[in-house]
Amino acid sequence: MRKSVILIVSVMMLLPWSLAANAAENGVSISLEHISVNLHDTKAIRRGAKLYATYCMACHTMKYLRYNKLAQQEGVLYSKMPIDQKEWTYPTPPPDLTLIANVRGADWLYNYLHSFYQDSKSASGSNNLLVPNSSMPNILQGLQGTQVLVNGHVRGYSKPSFSKPHWFDRLKLESQGSMTPQQYNQATKDLVSFLVYASDPHRIQRQHIGYWVIVFLIILAALLFFLKKEYWRDIK
Amino acid sequence: MENSTIKEQKSSGLIGWIDARFPFSSFITHHLKEYYAPKNLNFWYVFGAISLLVLVNQIVTGIWLAMYYTPTAKGAFASIEFIMRDVHFGWLIRYMHAVGASAFFVVVYLHMYRALMYGSYKRPRELLWLFGMVIYCIMLGEAFTGYVLPWGQMSYWASQVITSLFGAIPYIGHDITIFLRGDFNVSGVTLHRCFSLHVILFPLIFLALVAFHLVGLHKVGSNNPDGIEIRKDVDEKGVPKDGIPFHPYFTLKDLYWSVIFLIVFAAIIFFNPNFWGYFIEGANSVPANPIVTPAHIAPIWYMTPYYAILRAIPNKLGGAIFMAASIAFLFVLPWLDRSKVKSIRYKGKWSKWMLAIFVISFIGLGWLGLLPVDVWRLWLARLFTVGYFAFFVLMPFYTRWENTKPEPARVKFKKK
Repeated sequence: MRKSVILIVSVMMLLPWSLAANAAENGVSISLEHISVNLHDTKAIRRGAKLYATYCMACHTMKYLRYNKLAQQEGVLYSKMPIDQKEWTYPTPPPDLTLIANVRGADWLYNYLHSFYQDSKSASGSNNLLVPNSSMPNILQGLQGTQVLVNGHVRGYSKPSFSKPHWFDRLKLESQGSMTPQQYNQATKDLVSFLVYASDPHRIQRQHIGYWVIVFLIILAALLFFLKKEYWRDIK
Repeated sequence: MENSTIKEQKSSGLIGWIDARFPFSSFITHHLKEYYAPKNLNFWYVFGAISLLVLVNQIVTGIWLAMYYTPTAKGAFASIEFIMRDVHFGWLIRYMHAVGASAFFVVVYLHMYRALMYGSYKRPRELLWLFGMVIYCIMLGEAFTGYVLPWGQMSYWASQVITSLFGAIPYIGHDITIFLRGDFNVSGVTLHRCFSLHVILFPLIFLALVAFHLVGLHKVGSNNPDGIEIRKDVDEKGVPKDGIPFHPYFTLKDLYWSVIFLIVFAAIIFFNPNFWGYFIEGANSVPANPIVTPAHIAPIWYMTPYYAILRAIPNKLGGAIFMAASIAFLFVLPWLDRSKVKSIRYKGKWSKWMLAIFVISFIGLGWLGLLPVDVWRLWLARLFTVGYFAFFVLMPFYTRWENTKPEPARVKFKKK
């Protein structure tokens, strides 16, 4: 018995190691800054939807939110999306963003929106730390301002070499846009909240129902437990 | 038999009317009230009933999904999103179905592990085991064809990889691949036939085989953790001394554990239906695109052990053969086990160790199959592949030569 426990434990110890190796291969060149998205914050989602309608919808469709009231009220309208546009000046056509939060996750999206910097070698004049040579131009530059890539570290960055830097370790805000950094953080967080909402609009409703379903099942299980116990009393 | 059938019949009322025309009451008697199961069946024996529950869940939710789903390359992806967003409670039905698929495999793997542990495949239950194995293979087919239907990137590329495996067969492989795909590449034609197989052919065979599995079970009776035949020791009425009526004892026990299962099931459906990408992969949220190959293609978790075996072998045909063999060995298990006893309780040390190695190898392969290959993982996968096959290949020897403990005359039953 003790031997098999040792064996199982030693196998388990191999697993996280192989997981860590996996993360390194995903091609992520920076560490992702974690943000927490609160889907109960409807105001944030609405602000995000408004930003989406203003800044993203010129290129990105949001097809599957077509009949969603919240989106419609904030101007994310199917009739205004570039549904039929076939020709793009970019090498890859802009993807539909309804499900992008499922694909990338909230942290990735937030960090992507912070990782643009000036790059005169690029056709769009900007580049991105997270997606090198991203064909998306720095559309939020007017809000955020201009960031430049610095050699070394911005904020006295001195972590061990195996830990990758954050976007804010590599990029310096050279000139502020129409928003302060705090405002820009909030705006991008709102936008990401909207994208997370769009990927699964029924999430809050689902969780709300879920509590009742589980409470009901627990009561049912308790009743069945005692009923079973009562019947099985006869068995010797 | 004739007498008992008459005795069981009701003569009046609606049931009486039915009994005069259909063996309703006698069926209930023979298969529930006077079907005797060993009283020492433990927790491991609930997964058969739970898998039946999941099967019903899959069929019912599947019917509703098919009402809104469009099996064309152009419409499939959008129709799933339509179900998820615009159909009333469509998200619930779809999550029940998708999480149900993974739950089905969890439950069936535990059900099969129980059989391995207590020797439920051994005489006289060989045919019961074979029916079960065919059900498992149909399940893999059902799961694969169902996985294609959302027509996301992973659907597309996983089906591309799996159908291309048949191309490894010498001479006829290429033609078989085209036959399966209905096209030179995976396309809308492939999607359409996957839909047909998923909703008609496989469920039909599935249900018939589940019926056979149950008829076979009731012919030979359940095995039990002690691995002794309770029907050999009966009282004057012919009732096994260690048997208790299935109803109400096991119906209640199975019902209780089914609800416990449902609590876990509901917790996943309502709070984490994607299960961190293990049940529904994030990469499948991108519509199928034949031009863009994803950087990392992995099948869904319940198929990854076989995928890891495939990748562990450096040659494609060799890999496909080992993959097929890994399932084929399970079929012949009843004839590989030469032990005098059934249950792991009375088998020797070798059997216990080999079962542990088998389980660790299977889980290890499953884990490695989810990850991209590197040198270390490749050799680890090969090690686990050896572990997996050693369980079967060495079985005729260690089960025959090891020292077993004597089986008890009656089942062990401790009243709680």
